[in-house]
Amino acid sequence: MIKTNNLNSKFAIVNYAAIWILAKRELYEFFRSKTRLITSIAQGLLFLLIFSSGFAFININIGGVAIDSRAFVASGIAAIIILFNGIFGGMSILRDKMFGFMKELIVAPVSRRTLMTGKTLGLTLQTLIHVEILLGLSTVMGFFGYDISLILRMILIIPVAFLASLGIVGMGLTISTRLKDFQSFGIIQTFIVMPMFWFSGALFAFNNVPFFMQVIIMCNPFSYSVDLFRAVLLGVSFFPIWLDLTVMTLFGILFILLGARSFNRMEVS
Amino acid sequence: MSDSIIEVKRLTKIYEDGNVLAVDDISFEIKRGEIFALLGPNGAGKTTTISLLSTLLFPTKGEAKVNSFDIQKDPDRVRKSIGVVFQEPSLDNEMKAYENLELHGVLYGMPKKQRREKIQEVLKLVGLEDKANVYVKNYSGGMKRRLEIARGLLHEPKILFLDEPTLGLDPQTRRKIWDKIKELNQGNLEITILITTHYMDEADELADRICIMDRGKIIALDTSENLKKQISGDIIDIEFEITEDRTKIPTIINKLKELSGIKNISLGSTQKNGEEIPLNFKLPPNVDPETMKARIRETMSDPKKLIAAWKKYPMASQMFMNASIEMKIRIANLFADDLIEQIPEEIKQEIIKIKKGEYKNNETTSTPIISISCENGGKSLPLIIQKINDNNLIVKSVHMHQPKLEDVFLHFVGSAIREESSDRVKSIKNMIQMKQLRR
Repeated sequence: MIKTNNLNSKFAIVNYAAIWILAKRELYEFFRSKTRLITSIAQGLLFLLIFSSGFAFININIGGVAIDSRAFVASGIAAIIILFNGIFGGMSILRDKMFGFMKELIVAPVSRRTLMTGKTLGLTLQTLIHVEILLGLSTVMGFFGYDISLILRMILIIPVAFLASLGIVGMGLTISTRLKDFQSFGIIQTFIVMPMFWFSGALFAFNNVPFFMQVIIMCNPFSYSVDLFRAVLLGVSFFPIWLDLTVMTLFGILFILLGARSFNRMEVS
Repeated sequence: MSDSIIEVKRLTKIYEDGNVLAVDDISFEIKRGEIFALLGPNGAGKTTTISLLSTLLFPTKGEAKVNSFDIQKDPDRVRKSIGVVFQEPSLDNEMKAYENLELHGVLYGMPKKQRREKIQEVLKLVGLEDKANVYVKNYSGGMKRRLEIARGLLHEPKILFLDEPTLGLDPQTRRKIWDKIKELNQGNLEITILITTHYMDEADELADRICIMDRGKIIALDTSENLKKQISGDIIDIEFEITEDRTKIPTIINKLKELSGIKNISLGSTQKNGEEIPLNFKLPPNVDPETMKARIRETMSDPKKLIAAWKKYPMASQMFMNASIEMKIRIANLFADDLIEQIPEEIKQEIIKIKKGEYKNNETTSTPIISISCENGGKSLPLIIQKINDNNLIVKSVHMHQPKLEDVFLHFVGSAIREESSDRVKSIKNMIQMKQLRR
């Protein structure tokens, strides 16, 4: 493997101004592309309406506490947004590569670590905003009830969402730095995103599914992010919170490191 | 401080996954303040060379210094010294022009105030100051190219790399970009420019020195003038009539080589369009060949005008004698029997022969042609024609011209077969294996 520069560069320190402008670029993209903004909000709404009304009759009971199924689904979908946004956002690397902009970034006198951090930060912020929009909509529709503690929960969800999206964005970066064309995107969608979505327990309760499903859900690292979302938003969870936090942190670190590694090795020609 | 701003020593790059030897042991120096062109066909290794010098790729072997910084040991300093305009567009279409420049400025560590001033300055330089807040996706190809050049200049680099800057642009835009490049080089900025191109005219127009590359190797490096001198003197293209004797042409070539002042002879053949009027004489300096052709065409449609021309200009009668059979037949058919008497003697004989059907219209339109490079065309030409006549070959047309950069290019690159010889592939594979073993 041919190693490209930068890791061994003397200037491989982090350049904060560069990180911020790269992050800003990702945010610009999100807010300027009206179709993208509208689609993502509409998609969230659609999910909320369909699943919450479709599952309204299902009794969800966790640890003896009956949960409003709409709130249950809304919190799951908020977590799922992180999965979708993070991985698709990571694909923006692929887009930059295809449209040549990556060359401009790579030939600049900043370390790859800076580039990677800027990109990750931008994508994570993008995801956070998206999650808050969805939670705001759910609140307005009364899914979470009207409770003063909700404000606290909405604030507390920010660090949780941040932690959850780190691993996912890292995964998106790891994948997209290795891809060479958009065709492979469908494969990622089918074999990674969808299984992580369906087997995360975002839409159904962990204790309502057969044992083999439970095993799969437990193997899916993203299930723990969904679980922690519920712990914060609804106050109930299937797994102990310390387990959620541990898995999320390990998953985050693992994929951020993997992402950084692929980013450093990426050759742009 | 040396006056070389770029020093390349035995630089080699092998793409291991493709077993491709892209750059093969090249060495050259670029002087401060010059425009240096890498000229070569597609796949010659020009872009790889630029990628190596801009630290996008690591060399397999060899070393290079850019602005006295080593490309491997000090890539960041190298990056700060250079501005790069890539072959493919590398702008963010979803951002405004100003934002593209701003991002660049931040990445290159420019403080805010300086950044703002500089952005206005470079936008003005490329004539885009009133388009600063337009999204790049709404820019035309030429505007994008200009914006990229502006971006490359933003951080005041000492050296500007331009990889095929005018590829796919219309002639006017090309001209504009050329002017900009010259301005950058000559104005008070005094930027050293390394440009790659496969357009001969571009290299000829812009470059102080031209480095011709082919298959990863440098095959010639000099000023445009000196390169042309290397195949100095004149080029004489002789086209033969298709006769049974044309098998003699190789023998003729050997005989011609014995003449003094002849440097090189190559044999080829042309596929000429019957309608094409060969201008087989030197035009007066201020006459446009196209107008000349048009006038000849006009004359050729009227037999009376033709006769007048033949009587007045010896050149015109000579042209008729040298014209292709198809054309002669066409002209002969213009003349009614009563007009034939007015034609000058030499041409009359020819036309009568044609009318009697002595010449048969030959099916093939491909005629053998030899290209002779010699020191003094004027001196050698009579001798050459003499030799050819001695061997009973009929010359159809003669075209003498000064060597163009294109001739130089073809002289060095040749139209030689492009396939890799098996030896070459083997040697590359060996090199790669050796490298892997060493690890």
